[in-house]
Amino acid sequence: MTTTTAPPELESQPGRLNRLREALAIVFSSRTAVVGLAIVIFWLAIGVISLFWTPYPPNAQLFDPNLPPSAVNVMGTDHLGRDTWSRIMAGTQVVLLKTRLATDPRVVIPGGVAIWGVIGAVLVGGLLGVNAGYRGGAADQVIMQVLDAFIAFPVIVLYLVIVTALGRGDVIVILAITVTGAPGVARLVRGLTMDIKTHDYIRAAETRGESKWYVMLWETLPNARGPILVDAMLRVGYAIFAIGTLGFLGLGLPPPDPDWGSMVNDARKYIYSNPLAILWPSLAIATLVIGVNLFADGLREEITRYQR
Amino acid sequence: MSERIHPLALQAADKLERGRISRRDFLRYATLLGVSVGTAYAMAACAPAGAPAASEAAAGEAGAAGGITRGGTLRKGVLVQPVDHPARLSWLEGANAVRLVNEYLTETGPDNITRPYLLESWEASDDVQTWTLKLRQGIKFNNGDELTADDVMYSFSQWLDPEVGSSMLGLLSYLDGMNSVEKVDDYTIRLNLTSPNIGVPEHLFHYPAVILHRDFQGDWVKQPIGTGAFTLEEYIESERAIFKARPDYWRMGEDGKPLPYLDEIVMVSVDKDAAVAAIQAGQLDTLFKPRPSDFLALKDNPDLQVKSVATANCFVVRMRVDQEPWDDNRVRTAMKMCQDRQKILDLSYNGEGILSIDAPFSPVHPAYAERPIPAYDPEGARALLEEYAAEKGVDLPLKVTLATKNDLSEPEIAQALKELAAPGGFEIALDITEPNGYWDRWTEVPLGITIWAHRPLDTMTPPLAYIADADGAPVPWNETRWVDPEFSEKLAQAELTLDIEARRQIIGDLEDIMQERGPIGNSYWTNEWEIFPKSFHGVIAHPSNFDFFYAVWKQQ
Amino acid sequence: MARFFLRNLFSMFITMLLVSAVLFFLLEVAGGDVTVRLLGVFATPAQRDSLRRQLGLDAPAWQRYLDWLAGSDWRAQQMTPFPLVTMPNPQTGEPGWWAVVDDTLTRWRLADGELIAMQRTAEGEETTTPAGDVWTIDDAGNAIFWGVDVNNNLVKWVRGSDVDVLVLSKAGVRSETGGPQQYIPLRKGILRGDAGMSLQTNRPVSSTVFSRAANSLILAGAAFLLVMPLALVFGVLAGVNEGKLLDRIITITGLGFTATPEFVIGVFLILIFGIWLRWLPATAVFLTGDAIFRDPKILVLPVLTLMAAEFGYVSRITRASMAEVMQSPYIRAAFIKGVPRRRVIFRHALRNALLAPITVIMLQINWLIGGVIVVEVLFGIPGLGAYIYDAATFGDFNAVAAAAMLTVFVAVLTRLIGDMLYTYLNPRIRFA
Repeated sequence: MTTTTAPPELESQPGRLNRLREALAIVFSSRTAVVGLAIVIFWLAIGVISLFWTPYPPNAQLFDPNLPPSAVNVMGTDHLGRDTWSRIMAGTQVVLLKTRLATDPRVVIPGGVAIWGVIGAVLVGGLLGVNAGYRGGAADQVIMQVLDAFIAFPVIVLYLVIVTALGRGDVIVILAITVTGAPGVARLVRGLTMDIKTHDYIRAAETRGESKWYVMLWETLPNARGPILVDAMLRVGYAIFAIGTLGFLGLGLPPPDPDWGSMVNDARKYIYSNPLAILWPSLAIATLVIGVNLFADGLREEITRYQR
Repeated sequence: MSERIHPLALQAADKLERGRISRRDFLRYATLLGVSVGTAYAMAACAPAGAPAASEAAAGEAGAAGGITRGGTLRKGVLVQPVDHPARLSWLEGANAVRLVNEYLTETGPDNITRPYLLESWEASDDVQTWTLKLRQGIKFNNGDELTADDVMYSFSQWLDPEVGSSMLGLLSYLDGMNSVEKVDDYTIRLNLTSPNIGVPEHLFHYPAVILHRDFQGDWVKQPIGTGAFTLEEYIESERAIFKARPDYWRMGEDGKPLPYLDEIVMVSVDKDAAVAAIQAGQLDTLFKPRPSDFLALKDNPDLQVKSVATANCFVVRMRVDQEPWDDNRVRTAMKMCQDRQKILDLSYNGEGILSIDAPFSPVHPAYAERPIPAYDPEGARALLEEYAAEKGVDLPLKVTLATKNDLSEPEIAQALKELAAPGGFEIALDITEPNGYWDRWTEVPLGITIWAHRPLDTMTPPLAYIADADGAPVPWNETRWVDPEFSEKLAQAELTLDIEARRQIIGDLEDIMQERGPIGNSYWTNEWEIFPKSFHGVIAHPSNFDFFYAVWKQQ
Repeated sequence: MARFFLRNLFSMFITMLLVSAVLFFLLEVAGGDVTVRLLGVFATPAQRDSLRRQLGLDAPAWQRYLDWLAGSDWRAQQMTPFPLVTMPNPQTGEPGWWAVVDDTLTRWRLADGELIAMQRTAEGEETTTPAGDVWTIDDAGNAIFWGVDVNNNLVKWVRGSDVDVLVLSKAGVRSETGGPQQYIPLRKGILRGDAGMSLQTNRPVSSTVFSRAANSLILAGAAFLLVMPLALVFGVLAGVNEGKLLDRIITITGLGFTATPEFVIGVFLILIFGIWLRWLPATAVFLTGDAIFRDPKILVLPVLTLMAAEFGYVSRITRASMAEVMQSPYIRAAFIKGVPRRRVIFRHALRNALLAPITVIMLQINWLIGGVIVVEVLFGIPGLGAYIYDAATFGDFNAVAAAAMLTVFVAVLTRLIGDMLYTYLNPRIRFA
């Protein structure tokens, strides 16, 4: 880890507005980050709009199947005669904006599968990592050894194993993203914690007699938030990628609500009669992943430069 | 006409003459009773014109194409399944591999007419309770032994042995074990049935019913001894199987030399999507059971030919009548009314099939009684549901969950039905799992889409799915739990009725009962396709996806 | 160095142990009811119980885990005085379990309440004789006998038992009186190379896994060897020209490839080169077992797909490493001294800059394996990845577990080598 954390005097400056201004300054001083953010905001906006309006209902079979793009259907139609652009728009929802719980009656919670998966990974990985880094010794060894076992799994293999054991569904995909992401987060946080631990303000807190959990949660983690945030952004990219891959393998999110990976998988069967149908969801996945990556990259470069 | 003609066949000929049954019905019926195909055509008093048997079709085409060429390899994308004892075969892919090496006593062609295969002829007694099977003479196994009644007796003993576990055992329920199978001489076998049954020749073509060598030990991969046109070279499950032509096969080709024309057949286990790409690129010649999307991808390729055949395969929207709300016939009827059959067929099967009437009887069945195709009627459905909802005090839309598997056309049907049923007052949630996930619970879900395979006789599917056993409990495959006394009674009557006209009357009643209060919605019967390069001749599309490769040849 | 190596080796062993536990408990315990898969949905609860007993599923989970990991013959051996051995079946070559009685391989089965011994002679012939009085009396006063049955179980038969026992054979489930009461399925355990039977094919998993792995190795190896030089060159070019147009082009292209899922790249390669242009085989159909060598062309598109996915990643790390080295004081010093730029880059910067990417890539091998699964499924290559996928969609526990263990083992081993290499090459760590 070459990144160092923010110096403590930065923290002591008051004013939420100031901090926000600084954060924005970091974003806008990097062209890469701006481009990335623009792409992400574009897709977020598409997703939000799709909650209220799409050109046609995304699941309605209003047209002939496998039509090429035209003025009526800008991206053509899929194998069931549904408007592809409407489905691409609505496809952002499951990734970024909503999660369907397999309860009866069905409950939809805000926040997409990729988002919750990464939040899960950051929470689990962050807690494990800060404990390993702060406590050290045997706790560190045990935690890292267990995490090493999970890191050893090729990610897709672990997905396949989880899906084999537990079945399909939004929550299971979230679980899979959490399980595969947490070890990486934990390693990162552990490294950061070991670095932060050497700072005086941690000593000060310990001398004040604060509990270990207080020091870990209130003194250590907030100071590691920059790199964690960048890492989380990158992980959202991996998660979108993974959801796409699972969809392609036929193990993704359940129909009929559109998700890009499953759209690719459906369209793949019709690739010879309607090759463009596979292009659109592929492009959607690729651009969103690129956007998230650029944003994270730019942010990291700027944070690093800012701290030099 | 020196052969003995079954009296029922003579009666049928009489009916044909008076125009009360069709020519096709007559041919099918007469051949079942052991009248040779030639004689049957003669009795029907016209030259052969319908779809002929595999070998005949090949011959006809060869004549047209002029000059058969020998040699070449046929490469097929198909799952290479584990196979041990052929009597235990339970999947078509494995059966198609075994079929290249081992053969059947009879053969039901794509026209639903059953002809002798390893048999020279068969004969049924007047009460259809004693069947005499006469073997062709001079057929040799690929190890040099001659095929005799001993091999057939051995094969029967394997089918009827509960230790072997063949599905033939259930099919041949009219036999009392080997007590009912009698060797008359080296080439004659007699079956003494415990109850009359007209289906014997068709049952002998059930896919596990290949004739085995009398010394067969139980593992076909280790001991691939058969009378068929090919010999097994290599068999690696989930990877590939290689078959080579045999020089001394008993059937002769058009050129006067023994069949087969092809040198080699290679089966490769690939995913169907990969197989389609491979066919497009010329790496494979064909694939097993193309899906609608594969058909769509390949049909316009100028190098390929598509043969299609109508079947009794269907996807049944089945409702469990022991569970709410499907215990109420108004709800079931409403669901049936929500099928826009043509649209469902177009969306899920490229329009390649015949529309159906919510009953397990297909126009390809001989005794099918024609009924009008019900129209899409969401208003009617809504009216019925409103009545139901008012009575039960529930709100519309009625929320139901439709389960099925992510396979051939089921997801497309499910998604189409979800949309079509919305104006009718249903709100359908979809529960689509991998095929195994559905087969683990296919009889249990309240509402589901289940695929039912083609069966050549009209009375083969209903006893499996829509009746109760002797104790009154629904039979194991009765996924809907629907048991209707009138239906069961008439079905039993149909099974014993040999007269086609009377039989059609009964089948018609059964169709009406199913439409009126039955547990299934069925929008269409599928077509099956065989897709081959144009250089291949003599390819047959069979409704059960059976391969017949002994007379296929490749233009060199 | 030796101590470092040993410590890593030990850590790797613990990792594998944990991985095996994760796999076992996730698949076997959290997974669905295997009897539904084997018997279908129509089986009665009694039939399911019987099958569960025959599969040894009535044993506690930890016991089954140990059996699966290290074999059950240890504990089975305590039940019988006859040594338990495996012998290959002369027909299939698959190993089967036997008990050695008076130097003769023996198995037993029950017929009409009496035991029959089946013995295999040295010539491979099998003979059947009544077993005679082999029964012993247990504490409860029952006549019992522990012996090997034909399905590779150690079975406890209870004589004259009036309990009906359901027995599953290839022919289905049937009822036997006085039958087997307890089963210990005999297996050597995955550590000793016996991964159990595949539910899907009913043959030993071990007999297919390795030939499949060989195909994957060729595929992944080819992609790796081809992409490395390419990506390193472009990574270095970008790193040297940090911030310039060339850097931007290379970076964006790399990012584009990385962000595009393998299946998308693969599908378009198939469409363009396999079907429209017909330059290359669209899929990797193995018409023979050695198809890779007979017709190497079939691997071109799969390898290209994998390369596209890896290219971005490798070039990105190389670029970062190169850029860092170019900023380092000793390179700046070299420039200040007036050493020509070309010479600085090739003599000094390159060697140091390549160290990181080469080892980091070895650490990331499991990421490469993920791509292999998708590519194998897409192109129809009979490799380990396609095997895991098939097994996972079927729910074939033994096959998934064994194949996953193998991939994890490969990943962990490569990482160990990467670690060692890095330590060896980087003096700062070695002497730290």
